[in-house]
Amino acid sequence: MTDIASSPPIDAATAPGSGQRLRTTTQIYMYVALILVAIIVVVPLISTALGGFKTLSDLRGNPFGMPTEWQWSNYGDIIVSQRYWLQMGNSLVIAVLTVFLTLAFGAMAAFCFAHIRFFGSDYLLNYFLIGLMFPAATAILPLYIRIRDLGLVDTYWGVVLPQVAFGTGMSIMLFRNYFRNLPSELFDAAFVDGCGYMRFFWHITLPLSRPIIATVGIISFVGSWNSYILPLIMLNSESRYPWPLGIMIYRGEFNTEWQLVLAFITLTILPTIIVFFLAQKHIIAGLTAGAVKS
Amino acid sequence: MASVELHEVRKAFGALEVIHGVSLAIEDGEFVALVGPSGCGKSTLLRMIAGLEDISGGDIIIDNAVVNDLTPRERNIAMVFQSYALYPHMTVAENMGFNLRLSGTPKAAIAERVNEAARMLDLVPLMERKPAQLSGGQRQRVAMGRAIVRNPAVFLFDEPLSNLDAKLRVQMRSEIKTLHQKVKTTSIYVTHDQIEAMTLADRIVVLNQGRVEQQGTPMELYKNPANLFVAAFIGSPAMNLLDGTIDAEGGEAAVRLSDGTAIRIAQDRKVTRGQSIKIGLRPEHLGPGKVGTSLAGQTLLVEPTGAQTHVIFDLAGQPVTAIVDGEYPQRYGSLFQASIAADQVHVFDRETGIAL
Amino acid sequence: MSMSDTTMPGRTFAAAKPRAAPQRRKRSLKHSKWPVLLLFLPPALMLFTVLVILPMGEAAWYSFYNWNGYGVPEQWVGWRNYQLIFRNGAFSQALINNGMIVVASILIQVPLALWLATMISSRIHGALFFRLIFFLPYVLADVAAGMIWRFVYDGDFGLVGGIAHLFGAEPPYWLADRDTAMYAILGVVIWKYFGFHMMLFIAGLQSIDKSVLEAADIDGATGFQKFRLVTLPLLGSTVRLSVFFAVVGSLQLFDMIMPLTGGGPSNSTQTMVTFLYNFGVTRMQVGFGSAVGVVLFVICVTLAFSYKRIFMRHD
Repeated sequence: MTDIASSPPIDAATAPGSGQRLRTTTQIYMYVALILVAIIVVVPLISTALGGFKTLSDLRGNPFGMPTEWQWSNYGDIIVSQRYWLQMGNSLVIAVLTVFLTLAFGAMAAFCFAHIRFFGSDYLLNYFLIGLMFPAATAILPLYIRIRDLGLVDTYWGVVLPQVAFGTGMSIMLFRNYFRNLPSELFDAAFVDGCGYMRFFWHITLPLSRPIIATVGIISFVGSWNSYILPLIMLNSESRYPWPLGIMIYRGEFNTEWQLVLAFITLTILPTIIVFFLAQKHIIAGLTAGAVKS
Repeated sequence: MASVELHEVRKAFGALEVIHGVSLAIEDGEFVALVGPSGCGKSTLLRMIAGLEDISGGDIIIDNAVVNDLTPRERNIAMVFQSYALYPHMTVAENMGFNLRLSGTPKAAIAERVNEAARMLDLVPLMERKPAQLSGGQRQRVAMGRAIVRNPAVFLFDEPLSNLDAKLRVQMRSEIKTLHQKVKTTSIYVTHDQIEAMTLADRIVVLNQGRVEQQGTPMELYKNPANLFVAAFIGSPAMNLLDGTIDAEGGEAAVRLSDGTAIRIAQDRKVTRGQSIKIGLRPEHLGPGKVGTSLAGQTLLVEPTGAQTHVIFDLAGQPVTAIVDGEYPQRYGSLFQASIAADQVHVFDRETGIAL
Repeated sequence: MSMSDTTMPGRTFAAAKPRAAPQRRKRSLKHSKWPVLLLFLPPALMLFTVLVILPMGEAAWYSFYNWNGYGVPEQWVGWRNYQLIFRNGAFSQALINNGMIVVASILIQVPLALWLATMISSRIHGALFFRLIFFLPYVLADVAAGMIWRFVYDGDFGLVGGIAHLFGAEPPYWLADRDTAMYAILGVVIWKYFGFHMMLFIAGLQSIDKSVLEAADIDGATGFQKFRLVTLPLLGSTVRLSVFFAVVGSLQLFDMIMPLTGGGPSNSTQTMVTFLYNFGVTRMQVGFGSAVGVVLFVICVTLAFSYKRIFMRHD
C-alpha cells in the first residue's frame, strides 16, 4: 500500500508511527479471531462435560449454562462401574502391546534397511511402503477371515497384530530416515571399537534414537488408543471392548439419557486430555513431524 | 606396537580404481603422515588399513601378519576420526572405556586404564561429561584418549584437526606429537595440510590420484622433491615454477627463461642443451643480497605478514613470490631485485615432471 | 600386546602374495550381516505380508465370488460385484461425499489453517495456548468427537437446538435431514482436523529463512505483499502436503460418521468405508465387501501415486 519511492518525505517520517498503530489494531483483530476460533473448539467440549452434571430436563432447557443442580451421581456411577475401568484397561493393554511391537519390529527392520546392503533391499523397502498407501479398512473382510482362521477373533491379539502390521510401513520409514541421518563415522568408530551389527544396534543406535522412538511411539499409541474399526470387527465380547467401542455401546443402551452419555464421553476422553496437556510439546511435535516425514 | 606393511594395495569401486597398487613399509613406533590433495585416496587408504573398507587387491600386513580379512577389532588398531565420532549418549569415561567393555575387560581394569589415559591427556575433571558439553579441543582429546586406552598396535588419524580453529589446531598438533613421544605407538596420520604433516611426521608419504608420488623425511621432501607435484605441494608459500630451456651461460649450465634471462643451475644436473624444463624457486631462497644469479622485476604486490613480507614481482612475464624481511622497504610498482644460488634452483623435466 | 602375535605367528610371503580382485569376497570385513538380517527382518516382514499384503490379494480374489465368509468361496460371479457397486446409488453418494470432504478441505480448512498459522507464528502472546487448544480436537478419538457433535447438533438437547430456541426458531435436526447432514459432518471434520493442518503450516513457516522476509522488508513489501509474494510461494510444498493429508483422511473417514449418522439418513452421508462396512461387513457379504475394498484400494493407490507424481515430485 505505501510505496516508499513515491511517497513524500513527510509521510515517510510518520510511517513508522502509523505502521505501529496499524500493527496494534491488526493485533486486536487477530486476538478476536483467535479467541473466536478457540471458543468454537472448546464450547462443545465444555458443554459436554457440564452436560454430564445435568438432569435430562435441565439439558433440554439449558444446554449452555451451568447445571441448575449438580448431578454428581451421573459421573459417580460411571466412575465406580466396572465397565468404565475395564474398557480403559482394554484400551491400554491393546495400545501398549501395539506400541511395543510397532517399535521393535519397525526399528529392527529399519536398521537393516539403513545400514546393510543386501540383495533386493530397495525392492523390499518399497514393498513395506505399499502399506502406507491404503487404510486397514480396505482389506477388512479378508483380514477378519484370516484373524478368524488364526483363532484370534475376540482376543487382544486380533486387534494388536493388524494394527502393528498396518503401522509397520510408517515405523520402518521413520526409523530408517532417522538411522541414516546418524553420522556414519559413529558406525566406523563402533566397528573399530569391536561392535558387530547387533551391538551397534543395541549400544549405539537405540540409545541415540530416543526422539524417533518417542515419535513412532506417540503415533502408534494415539492411533491404537483411538481406534474403532478394528476392535469393532475383531472383538465380540463386551468384556474386551476398548473405550471407543464402549461409547457406542453405552450410547445404544442409554439412548434416551443424553446426560449419562455425556458424562461417559467426558470420562473416557479425560485421560487423553490430561496426557495431552502434560506432554503437549512431545505429542504435537510427534504427530506432526511424524506425518510430515512419512 | 607393530610395524605396518602395504604390499601393492589396490582399491576399486566397481570399474573405477582409486588406489593403484600402493606399497609402504612403516616401522614399529614410526609416525607416518599420508598427505595429498582431497580425493587423492589417502583417507580410503587409511580406512583400508583400519579394516573399514575392503581391499580389492594386494595385502595389508600388521605386525607381520596379513590382516586383509580381519575386522578392525581383530587388527587391534585405534582410530581418531575427523568428526571425533564420540558416542553422544555416553560420558567421556564411557566413551573411552567402550572398547574394553565390549571385549569383556573387568570393570576395575577398565577404570584403571581409562584414568591413566585421562591423566595423560588432562581429561580427569571432564570424565562425567557428555560430548555435547565439551569444547572442540576437549572432544579431540577424548577421541585420542579413546584410542590410547585400548593400547593398540597402530594409531590411525583421519584428519583429526581439520574441525578445529587455527589456534587450537596448532595446540593440538603439539599435543599429538607429545603423545606420540610418550607412548611411541606406530601412527599413521592422514592430512591435506602439508604443514601438519611436516611438523608431526617422522616420514611423509605424498599421495596423488591413488599413487605414491614420493616418501621420505620432511626435510628430504623439502630439499629434494622428486617431481613437480611434490615440489608444488610441500612448502609454504608454494614454490615458484617457471618454464625455461637449458642453455649455457659463460661455459656453465643455465636456464634461459622466455624473456632471455639466464639463471645458473647446479652443474651436476642431468640436463642436455635445448631441453624444455621447468625450474622451481622457493620464495624463501629468493631475496635481496643473497649470492647467485641476480634477478629483477617490477613489484606487483606486497603482502606483509609481520616478521616477513611476501613480495610478488614480475619475472619473465610470470608472477614470482619472494620472502623478504618484514622491515625491508618495498613498494608496489618499484623495481625488486633478488638473487638465488645455483644449487637452490630445482630443475624438472617439463614433459614428465621428474626432477633432474 | 598385539593379538596377532598369538593368532597368526609369523608371516609367509606366500600368504602376502597379491590375489586377483574378482576372487575376493565382497564386504568380507562385515561378514556378520546375515545373522542380523535373519533376526531383524522376518518379524516385520511376516506380519506385514500375512496381515496386509495377503488380505489385499485375497480381497481381489474374493471379489469375484458371492460368499458369506464360511467354508470356501465357491459361487463365482465374475465382475458382477463390481457392476453392483457402480450401480449402487449409495456408493455414488459415498464417492460424492468423499469428494466433498476434499473440496471443503481445500476451500475452507487449508485457508483457515494457514491463516491461523500465520497469526500464531507472528510472536503474539499466548501463541502456545492457542496452538494447544486448536490441536486438542486432533488427539481426541474420532468416535468421541462424533459423539460430542451428535450432542451439539441435537435439536432437543444440544447446543444447536438451544441456539434456535434463543431466537425462538423451530429446533433444527440437521443430522436427520438428508439435505443438511453431510454439511453438518463437514463442519465436524474441519473442527477436528484444522489444528493438525495448522501445525503443518506452522512447521512450514518456521522453516522459512527469516532473512528472506527481512530482505522483502528492505525491498519495501507490505505485510500482505510479503505474505502473497514471499511466504505463500515458499509454503507451496506444505500446501500440497496438507491437501494430500486431506485426501488420504477423507478416504479413511469412518469412525466419526458412525456415531453421527452411521451413513444415513437414507445413505446421504456414506463414505467409501462406511459403505463397505454397511453393505459388506454387517451383511457378511464378503465378495461384495471385498470388491468395495478393491475399488477403494485402487482409488487410494492411484491418488497417492498420481498426486505425488504430479504435485509433489519436487518436494
